[in-house]
Amino acid sequence: MDSFLSGLTQIFTLTTLIYMLAGSIAGIIAAAIPGFTVTMAIVLTLPLTFSMEPLQDIAVMLSVYVGGYTGGLISAALLDIPGTPSSVATTFDAFPMARRGEAGRALSLGVWASFFGTFISTVVLIAAAPPLAISAVKLGPWEYFSLIVFALTIVASLVGSSVIRGMLAALIGLAISTVGTDPIMDRPSFDFGIEMLQAGLPFLIVLIGIFAISQLTSEVEDAKSVRSGTSLVAGAIDFQTWKVMKEALRRPVNLIRSSIVGVLIGALPGAGGSIANPVAYDQAKRASKTPEKFGKGIPDGVVASEVGNSAIAGGGLIPLIGLGIPGSAADAILMASLMVHGISVDPRLMLDHADFVYSMFIAMTVASLMMLAVSLVSMRAFLRVAATPKWVIVPVVMVCCVVGSFALNNRVTDLACWASSAWRATAARARLLAGSAGARRDPRPDLGNEPAPCADEKRRSDALRHPAHQPSLPCCGSHLDRLSDPQPSEKTKILSRGLVR
Amino acid sequence: MSESSHNEEHAKEAGEIARLLSYVVLLLASVDLFLSANAIPPSRFERLGAGAFPKIVFANIALVAIIAIVDALRKIPRDAYGRFFTATADWARRRYLVFICLAALAACLIAIPRLGFSIASFLFIFGLELGLMPRRPVSIFTALVVAAIFSFGLNWLFAEVFNVYLPRGVL
Repeated sequence: MDSFLSGLTQIFTLTTLIYMLAGSIAGIIAAAIPGFTVTMAIVLTLPLTFSMEPLQDIAVMLSVYVGGYTGGLISAALLDIPGTPSSVATTFDAFPMARRGEAGRALSLGVWASFFGTFISTVVLIAAAPPLAISAVKLGPWEYFSLIVFALTIVASLVGSSVIRGMLAALIGLAISTVGTDPIMDRPSFDFGIEMLQAGLPFLIVLIGIFAISQLTSEVEDAKSVRSGTSLVAGAIDFQTWKVMKEALRRPVNLIRSSIVGVLIGALPGAGGSIANPVAYDQAKRASKTPEKFGKGIPDGVVASEVGNSAIAGGGLIPLIGLGIPGSAADAILMASLMVHGISVDPRLMLDHADFVYSMFIAMTVASLMMLAVSLVSMRAFLRVAATPKWVIVPVVMVCCVVGSFALNNRVTDLACWASSAWRATAARARLLAGSAGARRDPRPDLGNEPAPCADEKRRSDALRHPAHQPSLPCCGSHLDRLSDPQPSEKTKILSRGLVR
Repeated sequence: MSESSHNEEHAKEAGEIARLLSYVVLLLASVDLFLSANAIPPSRFERLGAGAFPKIVFANIALVAIIAIVDALRKIPRDAYGRFFTATADWARRRYLVFICLAALAACLIAIPRLGFSIASFLFIFGLELGLMPRRPVSIFTALVVAAIFSFGLNWLFAEVFNVYLPRGVL
């Protein structure tokens, strides 16, 4: 109790709270930019915290961490481009919701879901960090292999209307993962003598290429509508904060199930949001009485996806606090920041620095509240993005993607990799010819080669509701960040590739 | 049958042919990569070497591609092949803005190492906006401001705040 009270007094100082607020804002904005991940945001924050007190340092880092898991929602919902790999599944339902004029509801739902996910995972972290951490590190290669195979079974629910194309896409994803040096035998394979490929294709860059450019180019297919200055999302944007909070709370089973998925996967060293996000979505879909509505803009999908990726925040800290083992790259940087201040992160952390650990728990809770407040306030500003004309948004987002791809490794060659992924995804999305009889293609996933209806929003939303339009998701996963894309086939491809690597 | 439903039918057929072509390319590529995987030296310590997993994957791709080809051939009527090129040209003509975007992006990516991020992205954003926007003085002014912010401004932000230095080029 003394440790708890001591932590409480240390966190609730004006300076710490201001720093945390800045961290929350930075995390949300960074993750909203396609290509910027939670890990990158934390890395960029690290040098700024060297001069702070240890507790302020970790509180700021946790604010960025929590904010970063939510920020990816913004571009996922408004642009159909996941800001981070852990928000891939959010695009499946949040974007269709935004397309039919419910952008405010989709964002609001995602924010509340993220808050509940972080909050539940923090409670689990406080209550069960030591026992869960011990169980998590007992998992060996067999269990990890089983987890990946389990995750790959998600492909079955993503294949859409054509099983053959779904299988082919999943296999291509696996094939892409064979590029680079074999991790077990240390033999180079399929690098074609290109140095950049020796470490495999950079996942995040492929993600940006696949998602962003295909989506952006699909926005300009209809020249008349672009030239008339139409925006990405039509219709009035209604931001129903409290009503949507109740809507999220009316799904307690989904909230708890997705949180458990996020916490458990987050607690596994090496797994992360990019696995938890689609797995939580898939579980929600399987448990739903109306699985056919998933992928067409159902609130349950947004809730599951966002709760799943946000619960990683608490889950990822379990092995770190319990055993001194970072569960992900972002956790490793958190650990490094503690070590900079002379705090040894090992299994004795809870015994030797109990007040510090309790302060971390309190900081997590405060960070989730700040994330909620910042998101609810800033979403109104972000929603204006959706009202920006396409002729402004398309070139600007393309340049942001170029920056995101370059900044990851500071390599110009990554831009070539990004461009080739973009080209491939655009070609796949274009479905070469399908539905070319004058109608503008629906920007959503491939959904089975129906001629895309929609010459206007009404028809588009009808098309999304049409039962023939099967959803098709991606998944992903693995160590840092992994991905997927807007075509079922492309998504499946990325899923399998991400899981294997 | 009305003309539009006729066109739609023809477009669908052309889509199937395009898909068929992609299956053929996949089949050829997977066979080639399967053979390349054979060249990866086996391990002295493990029965399954580094080439085993790629071989399993590429063999399966080849198998599924064959099934997909057979399936596609079954669906495509014979006379559809003759209309394929016309339909392709129509499709491409309707989406000329997509090609403009991709070409502009390619030019920007090529120019970045030479001209630097700021200049290349300024030209890209402004040029593409000019191509896409309704031509009005206000729009042109907006385009200029947006281009400057997201090229020179973004470069400044990354360099000064994040210490990430984007290619400088001639600057």
